[in-house]
Amino acid sequence: MRRALGLLLLLGVAPAALPAQDTTMSRAFELERRGEYAAAAQAYRAILGRSPASAPALLGLERALLPLDRSAEILPQVRAALAALKVSPTSGAIYGVALRAYAATGDPDSMRAVADRWAASAPGDETPYREWGAAALGQRDQAGAMAAYLRGRERLHRPDALAAEVAQLDLARGDYEGALREWLPAIRRAPGYRVSAVATLGQAPDSVRPALLAQLHEGRDLVARRLEAELRARWGDPLGAVQTLENTLPDDPRLAADALQGVGDQLRLVPGPDAREAQGRVLELLADRSTDAERARYRLDAARAYSAAGRRDAARRMLAGIADDTAAPVTVAAGASATLVQVLIGEGKLDEAAERLTAHRKDMTAEDYAGLQHRLVRGYITAGKLGRADSALGADSSVDGLALAGWIRLYRGDIAGAVGRFKQAGPFAGDRDEATQRTSLLALLQPIEADSLPALGEALFALARGDTARAVAGLDQVGGGLPPAKGGAETRLLAGRLAAASGKTADAERLFRSAADPGAPGTAPAAELALSELLLERHRNQEAVALLEHLILTYPGSALIPQARRRLDEARGAVPQT
Amino acid sequence: MKRREFLARGSAGLLALSPWWTHLPMPRGAPWLLVPMDDAQTDHLKAYGLAFRLLERGGRGEWFLNYRSGSFLLPGDEATARDAALSGVATEPLDDATVVSIRGQIQGGNMDAVPLEKAPKVAVYAPPNAPPWDDAVTMALNYAGIRFQKVWDPEVLSAKLRTYDWLHLHHEDFTGQFSKFFLNYAGSPWLVDMVDRNRAMAQQLRFPSVPAEKRAVAVAIGDYVQKGGFLFAMCTATETLDLALAADGVDIAAAYADGTPMELDASKRMRWNEALAFQGAELELNPTIPVYSDIDGHQVNSPDGRQPLGSFTLFNFSAKIDPVATMLVQNHRQVIPDFYGLTTSFMRKRLKPSVTVLADEPGAPWVKYIHGEHGQGTWTFFGGHDPEDPQHQIGDVPTDLSLHPHSPGYRLILNNVLFPAAKKKELKT
Repeated sequence: MRRALGLLLLLGVAPAALPAQDTTMSRAFELERRGEYAAAAQAYRAILGRSPASAPALLGLERALLPLDRSAEILPQVRAALAALKVSPTSGAIYGVALRAYAATGDPDSMRAVADRWAASAPGDETPYREWGAAALGQRDQAGAMAAYLRGRERLHRPDALAAEVAQLDLARGDYEGALREWLPAIRRAPGYRVSAVATLGQAPDSVRPALLAQLHEGRDLVARRLEAELRARWGDPLGAVQTLENTLPDDPRLAADALQGVGDQLRLVPGPDAREAQGRVLELLADRSTDAERARYRLDAARAYSAAGRRDAARRMLAGIADDTAAPVTVAAGASATLVQVLIGEGKLDEAAERLTAHRKDMTAEDYAGLQHRLVRGYITAGKLGRADSALGADSSVDGLALAGWIRLYRGDIAGAVGRFKQAGPFAGDRDEATQRTSLLALLQPIEADSLPALGEALFALARGDTARAVAGLDQVGGGLPPAKGGAETRLLAGRLAAASGKTADAERLFRSAADPGAPGTAPAAELALSELLLERHRNQEAVALLEHLILTYPGSALIPQARRRLDEARGAVPQT
Repeated sequence: MKRREFLARGSAGLLALSPWWTHLPMPRGAPWLLVPMDDAQTDHLKAYGLAFRLLERGGRGEWFLNYRSGSFLLPGDEATARDAALSGVATEPLDDATVVSIRGQIQGGNMDAVPLEKAPKVAVYAPPNAPPWDDAVTMALNYAGIRFQKVWDPEVLSAKLRTYDWLHLHHEDFTGQFSKFFLNYAGSPWLVDMVDRNRAMAQQLRFPSVPAEKRAVAVAIGDYVQKGGFLFAMCTATETLDLALAADGVDIAAAYADGTPMELDASKRMRWNEALAFQGAELELNPTIPVYSDIDGHQVNSPDGRQPLGSFTLFNFSAKIDPVATMLVQNHRQVIPDFYGLTTSFMRKRLKPSVTVLADEPGAPWVKYIHGEHGQGTWTFFGGHDPEDPQHQIGDVPTDLSLHPHSPGYRLILNNVLFPAAKKKELKT
């Protein structure tokens, strides 16, 4: 009967006590959530008074004491928890709190004792030493952390144990070579560490990079090769990166693709044609190791990368591969055709580009087709084949098409036709620079009374093809044959500006003076301003001042007056030079 | 005033001007040009240069105080019209009848017409190596196109200063302590150059130290004003000039400047009767703090005492009774944003009773712009360094006044330049 009573009492008490503890834990959490840390700490302590080894309560107390800057006050509860601790899934949390508490109080002996006790309960596990080191690092004790990791290595009998942690410590000390020695075994054990290794070693100063690469070169496995390739990519040697990897790619296509993707990810961040070429090569290698549908996409991407790198031959090789690939998806084939047309235009193979464009028109969107068609027309114009440009453009009535038609007419000397097309194109064709250029040209062309002026077209065509000297001579001649107010002055002003920009100041001065004709009051202020700026550049300030005064007094309504006054102030030293 | 008297005055004004312009080639337009100085003006600062150059050519004009924010009436001769066009200064052609009408308005309100007769000879006190963009007055004069000469210690200590009508001082430290930057900016090339140049000059002029030489310069400047000169000072030149003048027989310079430390009871021994504007100031004894005394209200370089910038308000004066003060505050803006300098403002409690306050910050214990007489001459002090660069730092890019052609702060500077050109009138009081 007494035994039965005792059992009843136990049964009666135990169910009542458990909900009470849960309620107190909930209350402690709530207090902590509300930021009432002192009260929360008190509540956690109350729980630990009843259950000293309660991991949630001990962790809660640690959290609550931290913002109060009273972390050291946890020690009595830690000692009680360690005394009451039995091996369980939560014992690691208790050991972790104990390590941090002893670290905060500067007690390395107790830290070592806790770690050893923990390690003894979890043979072969790195965690006790990792936590020990982390607790030391939490107190900025790098030496203590290193001692913890090395002790772990010794106790675990594994020279590569805790390698990632040791690598981080080496980096913190600026020892990049030491860090690399640790990262390699760390990655071999856990490949996910490669990202951290590349990110941290990638920041190595230029002076230590050769030593790191030499160290990597000694490693013969794929881990070392991949790391070397990705670091080379980061350090501005994209082609070297690909070459490094290409020579040691494994036969296993999955492993090889993984390695190539890693380098490809690094190359995407690197600017410049070499990086694009390397990217193209990586994508080509990926294509060679891919299934049908993926292969075409990789080749298309490789073609684009090669094209961006200026490697048109390689781009064309990729695109031809897609064309021959019957398994390539339709969208990829269309993209390949578009890229191939661009490549051909870039190579100057315009007729071939035109044929391809016509052949693949049905595969392209109207917008893509129009864009390529305009590129082709520009290509013909640049090549001097105005007739082919005109026929390629056809009856295109889009604003971009009209603008291109205007240029073709202009270069043929058809002034009226050019003006008409430029006006129809309006300000929305092309980018802002192109629109501004057309507006300036309209200002030049509109005063000209003649409908046709082939010499002007030739001069402007020479300018478009980069022959400035011929353009200046042509414009000078054309301007001389036109009345000043009917395009003569404006043409010579343009010639003067081109001469000035190409350093022919004597010619520029003569042309500006002839353009500053009072008979062309629309052009004369701009010519006088341009001339005065030229004179100021030549340090002929007195002449410039006289000219600027003349401009201001003669053309007071000109929109250039504020600019002229500014130049006058500068010439007189009234304002600082800008 | 009776109408007959008013008309007589107006006609007299017209007649008074006619001989100077009728001999010039007649312009195509009207006989008079009004240079409006209200918001119709396209370049307020260059308008002063226009008037100044007219006087240089031997012409005469009038300053219509408080009429359209201080407009100028200039003869409509070809040279003036050309100059206005080149400068971008807005002018309004007027015929005689309109001028008479304007004179009627002036006579009937708080306005006055002050004849401008002679271009003053302008001197700017600056070391020979001073860059032209580091002094607000130099910038204003350059921008407006007003001719000036640079003078420094040798010219001030010789008789040459007397040949100028108007003298400007800017951020010179007349206590000889190199702006009290000696310790904080030790080794800076510009400071080394400043120290070397000043020490060489003190030696050349046979003074035992830079503070001794600068005090002699300050006394010479005070004497220049005493004998009828017009003095305009800005920034730290205001405060240090008065400190130097009052430090008669008192060592107020730190040991790095003259080899002996500042006298601990210097504040008590200062002779404020020798100063122009201030009295009773307490000197800053710490040589590492670039602050001289408690005259400055804003204490820009004092870690504890620095005050934020506000705005200052120009006072209104009676144009007919107090034309000098009225001239100095002519502006198209009454309230102007404040700007720092080594000396930014002047504590009200440190002003001598005779000082005329031209502008203050309402509610603040400091004032911004003050004026006074000293012997036969006058002085005007304007706190701050650059009205269009409120927090100017050493090495900042220069202010480009073509970006601030309507600057009301710079207008105050130019009022001072033109003010000596005005013919003094008998005051009614």
